[in-house]
Amino acid sequence: MNILGLAVLGLFVLLMLFFVSIRTRWPAAFRPIKAYQELNTAVERAVEAGERVHLSLGTGSVIGSDSAAAFAGLSLLSQVASATTTSDKPIVATAGDGAMAMLAQDTLRSVYAEANAEEHFKAISGRMLGPTPFSYTAEIPNLLDNEEVSVHVLAGSFGAEGALAADFGRRQGAFVLAGTEDVQSQALLFATTDYPLVGEELFAAGAYADAGPLHAASLRTQDAIRLMIILLIIVGTVLKTLGVIS
Amino acid sequence: MKIGAYLIWAATAIGVGVVVLLGYFLDSQLVLSLRLALMRWAVLIAAAALLLGLWNLLSVHWSKVSEQYPGWPYSALLILAFLVTLSLGLMFGPDNAVMVVIFDYIQLPIETSLMALLAVSLVVAGYRVVASRRDVSSLVFAVTAFLILIGTGPWLIGNGGSLQILLGEIRNWLAQVWAAGGARGILLGVALGSIATGLRVLLAADRPYGG
Repeated sequence: MNILGLAVLGLFVLLMLFFVSIRTRWPAAFRPIKAYQELNTAVERAVEAGERVHLSLGTGSVIGSDSAAAFAGLSLLSQVASATTTSDKPIVATAGDGAMAMLAQDTLRSVYAEANAEEHFKAISGRMLGPTPFSYTAEIPNLLDNEEVSVHVLAGSFGAEGALAADFGRRQGAFVLAGTEDVQSQALLFATTDYPLVGEELFAAGAYADAGPLHAASLRTQDAIRLMIILLIIVGTVLKTLGVIS
Repeated sequence: MKIGAYLIWAATAIGVGVVVLLGYFLDSQLVLSLRLALMRWAVLIAAAALLLGLWNLLSVHWSKVSEQYPGWPYSALLILAFLVTLSLGLMFGPDNAVMVVIFDYIQLPIETSLMALLAVSLVVAGYRVVASRRDVSSLVFAVTAFLILIGTGPWLIGNGGSLQILLGEIRNWLAQVWAAGGARGILLGVALGSIATGLRVLLAADRPYGG
C-alpha cells in the first residue's frame, strides 16, 4: 500500500477545501499572465467582428496519461465558449481523439444550454480533425482558412506537431495562444507562438477565467505544495552535503 | 430532471474516478480487479468514440461537399480516400500487403514531409523570435539555441579542435545543468497542475461530461 501517495493526495484535497473556505477572508491574488489577458480582448474583438474562435484540444487521448492537459483545455473551452454564445459564428473545438471530440461537443452543448442559446449549438462545432497527430495538424490550415478563424487557441496535449499547428495560425494572421504539458513542445511553442503558456500556466486557465472557487483554490494549493517540495529539496540537499543522509 | 441527470453523471464520474485512483495506491485485490475492469471498459468506449469521431469527420466533409464550400474538392478527396482505405482494410485486413503499401507509400511519406516542414518552420520562427520579440527571455532563448546548435553538430572546418571541444563543454553544461534543472521545475509544475485538474474532475468542479 502506498500510504505516502495517498497522504499527499489527501493533503492536496484538504488544502483545496481550506483555500475555498478562506477565499473571502483571504482572496487569491495571481500574477498577471499576458496570454490570458490578451485572450479576453481577442475573443471580444472576434465576436464583434463576426469572426470565429478555434480551440484545439490537441492530439492526446482521454484515457492516456496526457489527458490532464486536454481536460484543462476543456475548462478553457467552457469559458471561451461562454463569451462567444452571442456570436454569429460559434466557436469550433477540435481534437485528434474521438472521445475528446465528444467531450468538446458535450461541453459546448452545456454552455449554449446555460446561455439559453441552444439554436447556436451545432454538433459539428466539436469535431475530430484526424486520428493521427500529423493528419490532425494537416487539416488545421484548411479549417483556419475556410472558417474565418481569427483566434486560434491550442490548449491540450501536443507533440512536435503543436509547433506546426501554431505556425499555421500565425501565417493566417490569427491571434495564437498555445499551451501544452510536454516540456519539449513548450519550447517549440515558445518560438512559434506570440502568447505561449509556459510550465503549468495551461492548468491555471480556469482560475484566471474565474471559473469557480475550486479553480482558484487548486492554484493556491499547487503553490503551497510546490513550496513544500522546494523546502524538502533544499533540506535534502543540505543534509546530503553535510553527510547526514547517504 | 436536468439536476437529477447531472447528479447521476457526477456521482458516476466521482465513483469510477475514486476506484481507479485507489487502484494505484491500495493492494486490495477487489479494488485492483475493479480498476482493471473499468480501464478495459474505458478502452472499449474510447474505441467506440473513435468510430463516432470518424463519423463526425465524414459528416463535416460531406456537408462541405454538398454545400460546395470553398475547398470542397479536398473534402471530396478525403471522403474518397477514407472509403477506399476502409473498404480495403475490411476486405484484406490491416496486415495485408495492400494496406502496408498504402501506409508505407502514402501515409508515411506525407506525415514525414510534414515533419520536415516543421524543421523549416522552426528556423523561421527562431528568426522571428529574435527579430520581433526584443525581451530578455527571447535573447536567452536565441543565444542558448545557437550555442546548443554549434556545440552539437560536426564542423566543416576545425572539427575536433580546441574551440569545438570548448563549445561542446558549454553545450553539455547548458543542457545538463540549466536545461535539465529548468525542465524538472516545469515537470514538477505540470505534475501538480495535472493532479489539481484530476481532483477538480473528481470533486465535480470540472464536468467535462456536461451538466
